Amino acid sequence: MWLWDVVYGFVAHLFSPSNPLWLYYPLCAVVAVVYKATKVDEPKKIACQALHFFASVSLGMLGLALVFYIITLLL
Amino acid sequence: MTDRREKDRSPFVALVLGWILPGAGHAYAGRWGKAILFFSLITALMVAGLVIGGGTNILPNRLWYAAQVCAGGPALALTPISQHLAGPDDSNVDWADPLHEMGTLYTAVAGFLNLLVMMDAYTRIAYPHRLGQQPQEEDA
Repeated sequence: MWLWDVVYGFVAHLFSPSNPLWLYYPLCAVVAVVYKATKVDEPKKIACQALHFFASVSLGMLGLALVFYIITLLL
Repeated sequence: MTDRREKDRSPFVALVLGWILPGAGHAYAGRWGKAILFFSLITALMVAGLVIGGGTNILPNRLWYAAQVCAGGPALALTPISQHLAGPDDSNVDWADPLHEMGTLYTAVAGFLNLLVMMDAYTRIAYPHRLGQQPQEEDA
């Protein structure tokens, strides 16, 4: 129950409208499209790979942030 | 598909054009679709960064400028605006504002992305078969 409260509080803070972290998502999307457009030529492949890049980076960073947050609470 | 016109082009010219204007290196190589895509995204990122940061985050006396100036034309064009808004001795800059930091990040990433795009334009002409394509037969 304690862990759930921690995760809920963290995610609620992360996605609150007042948090400027929202601005990372458009930045990540632009990086994904430009980076993948230099790698492949077909528009469909660019879109698929950019989406994969965006999801991987966003979820990866979110998971990493959550783990570090829980570690700091335990210390 | 490799564009035959790329064979007659100089990779160094593509590199320099790509720095002057994001995407211009690809336009020089005949890749107009990518040129428009890169120009619009990198310029939009640069302008968005300036707006988010309150217009005071493209300053030549900051280390971030080394990354920002890689965006070439847009960065150089926006520098005087930023200097004007920052005021004498950067007195109007709110260094503690998280949005200022985020705007600086936007502009710096725009610079790094343009560096990547410039290198892509260069290698596209210098090494046209790098994308795993078979070399084209020479015309008889």
